[in-house]
Amino acid sequence: MLAKYVARRFFASIVVVLGVTLITLVLMDRTRGTYVPGIDLNPALRPEDIARLRADLGLDRPFYLWYLTWIWGVVHGDFGRSMIDGSTVMSHILDRLPNTLELTGTAIIIGIIVSVPLGVIGALRRGSKTDHSLTVVSVAGFAVPQFWMGLMLILIFSVTLEQHGLPWLPSSGAFSAFAGGDILDRIQHLALPATVLSFFYMSTWSRFIRSSMLEVLSQDYIRTARAKGMSERRVVYLHGLRNALIPLITLIGLELPGLVSGGLVVEVVFGWPGIGKLAFERALQYDYTTVMGVTFFATLLVIAGNLLADLLYGVLDPRIRYG
Amino acid sequence: MIGPSRVAELDMPAAGIETGAARPAQSYWNESWERLRANRIGIAAGLLIVLFALIAIMAPLFSFALTHYQPQTINLDETFIRPGLRHLLGTDELGRDTLTRLIWGARVSLGVAFLTVAMSLSVGTTVGMVAGYYGGWTDDVLMRLVDTVLAIPAIFLFILMSILFRPNAFTLAAIVASVGWGSVARLVRGEVLSVKQRDFILATRSIGARDARLMVRHLLPNVLPVLIVAASLGVGQIILIEAALDFLGLGIQPPTPSWGNMLTNAQSYFFRSGFLVAFPGLTIFVTVLASNIFGNAVRDAFDPRLKS
Amino acid sequence: MTQPLLEVQDLHTVFSTKDGLVKAVDGVSFELNPGETLGIVGESGCGKSVTALSIMRLQRPGRIVGGKVMFKGQDMTRISEYEMREIRGREIAMIFQDPMTSLNPVYRVGWQVAEPTRLHHGWDAKRALASAVNMLGRVGIPSAAARARDYPHQFSGGMRQRVMIAMGLTTTPQVLIADEPTTALDVTIQAQILDLLRHVNREFGTATILITHNLGVVAGMCQRLMVMYAGKIVEAGPTADVFANPKHPYTWSLLRSIPRLDAERHEPLKPIEGLPPNLVDLPNGCAFHPRCVFRVERCQRDVPSLLQVGDTQRAACWVTQAGTELKGA
Repeated sequence: MLAKYVARRFFASIVVVLGVTLITLVLMDRTRGTYVPGIDLNPALRPEDIARLRADLGLDRPFYLWYLTWIWGVVHGDFGRSMIDGSTVMSHILDRLPNTLELTGTAIIIGIIVSVPLGVIGALRRGSKTDHSLTVVSVAGFAVPQFWMGLMLILIFSVTLEQHGLPWLPSSGAFSAFAGGDILDRIQHLALPATVLSFFYMSTWSRFIRSSMLEVLSQDYIRTARAKGMSERRVVYLHGLRNALIPLITLIGLELPGLVSGGLVVEVVFGWPGIGKLAFERALQYDYTTVMGVTFFATLLVIAGNLLADLLYGVLDPRIRYG
Repeated sequence: MIGPSRVAELDMPAAGIETGAARPAQSYWNESWERLRANRIGIAAGLLIVLFALIAIMAPLFSFALTHYQPQTINLDETFIRPGLRHLLGTDELGRDTLTRLIWGARVSLGVAFLTVAMSLSVGTTVGMVAGYYGGWTDDVLMRLVDTVLAIPAIFLFILMSILFRPNAFTLAAIVASVGWGSVARLVRGEVLSVKQRDFILATRSIGARDARLMVRHLLPNVLPVLIVAASLGVGQIILIEAALDFLGLGIQPPTPSWGNMLTNAQSYFFRSGFLVAFPGLTIFVTVLASNIFGNAVRDAFDPRLKS
Repeated sequence: MTQPLLEVQDLHTVFSTKDGLVKAVDGVSFELNPGETLGIVGESGCGKSVTALSIMRLQRPGRIVGGKVMFKGQDMTRISEYEMREIRGREIAMIFQDPMTSLNPVYRVGWQVAEPTRLHHGWDAKRALASAVNMLGRVGIPSAAARARDYPHQFSGGMRQRVMIAMGLTTTPQVLIADEPTTALDVTIQAQILDLLRHVNREFGTATILITHNLGVVAGMCQRLMVMYAGKIVEAGPTADVFANPKHPYTWSLLRSIPRLDAERHEPLKPIEGLPPNLVDLPNGCAFHPRCVFRVERCQRDVPSLLQVGDTQRAACWVTQAGTELKGA
């Protein structure tokens, strides 16, 4: 039954993937048509050279033929080569993906570790000063532009500290070239961007856990647990939290696409060599193949995230059956 | 004696009068409005947004009478001035007055936000109502379209579209709304599906009301609370998205000032003036914060599902 | 006369609401003897459930503001939360109205039934589970060992209520409080669950407090019966006597509103006029007087106390305390 469910979801996903990539291509085609990336850089090109380049890149064909060719390649595991530097799209993605996973993964983990206890505290002490302060911080967290928070952190922890001769945190990149990227170096580079990203997750999730927990604590089975003489700790954490966490799983699953696009702004601000920054730069340069490849992967992540969330939901909530 | 005769169910009336689902519409709006008015912080936040909007509309007046500068007047003798009496919030790398630029920038940020909300709502509501009302394959096709739109990493779409259309306030709003309508459509469809089941819709149908009339006269009013809530919660998010696009250079282009594009170059001037980074960001933060607080207040007051 | 097992003395529980203080339980006193089954009857909102929850000190967000609950020589309203937990689920077990929502959806049934013995008796998981399976079998769940591995949603309503009862019994408590145990169930299932409760009462000797709005349930189950109205006990006595000869107009009206198969002609049912009282703003005098067909002038002025009326019953009513019989109308 589960296999059937996954299969059905898989086929529905194919439609979405085709739709997304097609829309992307049509947009690029409308935008620049048969433009050859980087063509302006070399004024020595003659019209026949340009025509040959177009033919090589497949840009002389109508976009639907280009699309079919691309799909054919993808089905065979070939995402083509970047129109700008000629290396394979796959190598670009594999080069950048680990960095993105490192950044977003860290942020998500920090987000969970911080937000769950904060949410529970907020729910247990509803209406207290602690709860109100948590609410204020979280509401503020929603309103801070991520890129601005990044800039401010750089201003404070990199620029100002450096100006005063204090130890400062690096503001750009994933590691320093000369330090060779040892663990400490990577953590230092990770500190600021991961803070910005996780702050956003914290404010969203802690509110979510709070309201989810409040709802769970008003359920009859919590009263049953109390009537059984369970300690308040056991009631809250064993009987309550397990139920309150189930909807959070969905939320985190839906956050997976953020791996690529949500972190983009943060990657740009901090010069983080991730997949979002790659897509941003290449889209500005009309690198069709790279953009298509990243879009494809990003969409897969959205779908995988949704599916994973649903499956985990089923593991955590025995009531869910896949029909 | 107690015979089997007496072993019978006795259902007692519940304490208090059950309030029926078919309450008069008028009282719903009055009650919601009363609840909103009672929320002082929410009202204060709403008034702040109104104030910002007024300032944005009257930007020429403000820059003429209050700051005495024009947003695009370059003065290379007065670059990176710190906040003070001459320039209340200082000047940027080209000697332009920061406060004046923020006031003019409000036109972009707030204008685009309201325009985007209006566009997302009108498209999303239409699609959602049609899908939910007709059901069947219409519903299937429309909802797969919504799935697709929502599955595209929005930021890529923004990037490509902002290259495609030279962004001005109107096209930028259209670009952001091209994704925003999807979630509205889902919301509205869900609401329509639940309203559709109620008796009065069946009754109206049975007397032969036409589809369009039924949708506009009977479904729309029932969907309205959800729309109001979605709109007021959406403004803040859209200001953030718009600012990010401006910051990335994909939105409103310099020299037209916007809160986002004032930060684009800020990174280059960190060592000259931290104020250039602080003020536009603070302005965005305060505006979004106020919108969110107001949006939450509206949701608490209007969301029919929260009433109990 | 034996020593009562549980003695509630002048219990007061209040709730703070936006509209004012609600006296949900307003001076309730009664005792429960070992092995007996006591019924508490009344409309929703009359305070019967809050009374039960107050005994367990689970009345939150309400507050117990007065009275005692004596159990085994100690006042349960005064002991520490820790001591209270030792009583809950061990000495006094409670089952609730809606078995659909009273079991935790994410844990297996066996685990939940085993939880009380694991915590209260310190049994290891294996032993506790074995005893849970045994108990599930004894309350009539077929192939209990296999069903213990299922989740609550895989059980029917009646079966879940059996699970709840089994969960209450694993620690062989002396008191079982059943709060509307059959209200959410189908009629045929109701009878089975009531049978089970009767059986439990006989086999384990567990004293039972049965809270219900259904007089029929009380009739077949309880030796004694209390009727509550607006937070007060308005009538108490042996079930048979109360049914045969009610001494409070409220009880009298309740009994008349039940359909009777042995009615002489096709008489229309007589519902009670008016609505249950608003607990924030109770009428002066007897809370029932606005709906009472027997009311006299004094009822609107003074609150009657619960006094002996007749040989075996007590009632809080100026009319019957003055010797008037409740008849006709």
